[in-house]
Amino acid sequence: MTTQQNTPPTAQVTVEELAALMKKAAGVTVDPAELADRLDAGFDTFGLDSLGLLGIVGQLENRYGRPLPPDAERCKTPGDFLELVNSTLLAGA
Amino acid sequence: MSPSNPRRAAVTGIGVVAPNGTSAETFWKSTVEGVGVLDAVTREGCRHLPLKVAGEVRGFDPSALIEENYLVQTDRFTHFAMAAATLALTDARLDPDGIGSPYSVGVVTAAGSGGGEFGQRELQQLWGQGSRFVGPYQSIAWFYAASTGQISIRSGLKGPCGVVASDEAGGLNALAHAAQVIRRGTDAVVVGATEAPLAPYSVVCQLGYPELSTVADPARAYVPFTDGACGFVPAEGGAMLVLEELDTALHRGADIRATVAGHATTFTGASRWDRSRDGLAQAIRGALDEAGCAPQDVDVVFADALGVPEADRAEALAIADALGPHGRRVPVTAPKTGTGRSYCGAPVLDVAAAVLAMEHGQIPPTPYVHAISHDLDLVTSRARPAELRTALVLSRGLMGSNAALVLRGRTGSAR
Repeated sequence: MTTQQNTPPTAQVTVEELAALMKKAAGVTVDPAELADRLDAGFDTFGLDSLGLLGIVGQLENRYGRPLPPDAERCKTPGDFLELVNSTLLAGA
Repeated sequence: MSPSNPRRAAVTGIGVVAPNGTSAETFWKSTVEGVGVLDAVTREGCRHLPLKVAGEVRGFDPSALIEENYLVQTDRFTHFAMAAATLALTDARLDPDGIGSPYSVGVVTAAGSGGGEFGQRELQQLWGQGSRFVGPYQSIAWFYAASTGQISIRSGLKGPCGVVASDEAGGLNALAHAAQVIRRGTDAVVVGATEAPLAPYSVVCQLGYPELSTVADPARAYVPFTDGACGFVPAEGGAMLVLEELDTALHRGADIRATVAGHATTFTGASRWDRSRDGLAQAIRGALDEAGCAPQDVDVVFADALGVPEADRAEALAIADALGPHGRRVPVTAPKTGTGRSYCGAPVLDVAAAVLAMEHGQIPPTPYVHAISHDLDLVTSRARPAELRTALVLSRGLMGSNAALVLRGRTGSAR
């Protein structure tokens, strides 16, 4: 898998994409609009555990063909997670 | 049971997910009517394998019973366990949210093979795409202990938890362990075993067992205690029970279904069926001794019934050795011939059947089995009415564990 084929020029993970990943990787159903409203709420309040977040990190790493920083899987909230992931992707773009 | 500690373990709830029924009610109806449900193996990826007949749990929709986040991270054997645990808690009218302290209820399961289907899928990812494509839940889903952990987390049960890995007899040993947890001070334990051994990797593992029956005719594939005995048929499913401290259960107004009165277990080596005679007899004597029962107190025996001639002979002789002349008179049954053997789940299903048999005063028959070639009063063809106060459940594992459990029915008026 190469970065060129799979990554849009301005690769950023959206709230909608995070909601889809929470569903796919951890079976957690969350409305993207609610996720957007509660970016500072703990992942645990959505029913996402640490292994679920690790699975999301793994899927993003495979999608973008690059590692994410170790702190990604330690993020406590969707807001922190998106900020860290997107700043990492931006820095590497 | 120590006289200085009168705490006793009572069965107050039964949850069944079995090939012949996905509730205790349907399981009992099929069991007492002697319905055999052995059929061609249809699980995905298994049809071409030499195992032709098994007991599949069909019509089980886990998504109707279990939240998706738990389904994603668990194997089919744990889906069965979570569903059966919920059924058992509901049957016991024990609401996990309503218990005084979450530390007062524990969870104990036994497992023979863990999550083979989930593990196979992730290993295929590993060798097909690479290590980065293995999901993190592989770390827990395949594991023998997964069902205990997930039931505990899902139901918020924080009492003593454990997993018994002691071969097929582990199903009975888990009940004994739970009874011990209760004697030591815990109010209740959700306990039992479920298995899901019908996935390609799991089936291939079982093909190495010389005791496995690969006969393609469901009516002839698993016929213990007959001249046609040709091994055993595996099955999916199992049962979870709620065991409670007797006085605590009475105090909350629970329905006391039976008490776990005695148990013992021995080990005689893998596939040493001749030796299982002494091992099983010793387990029976130990269980009766702990229960304070004489051999003639036993009203019905739920046999292990492996279906291997040497093993069947050893079991018939063990019953005679341990029960004396009563061993030739006591009714013996093996309803598992109708469903197949779900490894650790099989003896727990027998315990569920024994409790229900005592409640209904009916000894369920042994499906598919007709002409008996051993000196046993095996109940065949149709259920036999009988007043049942004490049931003896036997189990042996392919790796050499033997166990016996004595159950006492409720005294007093009928349900």
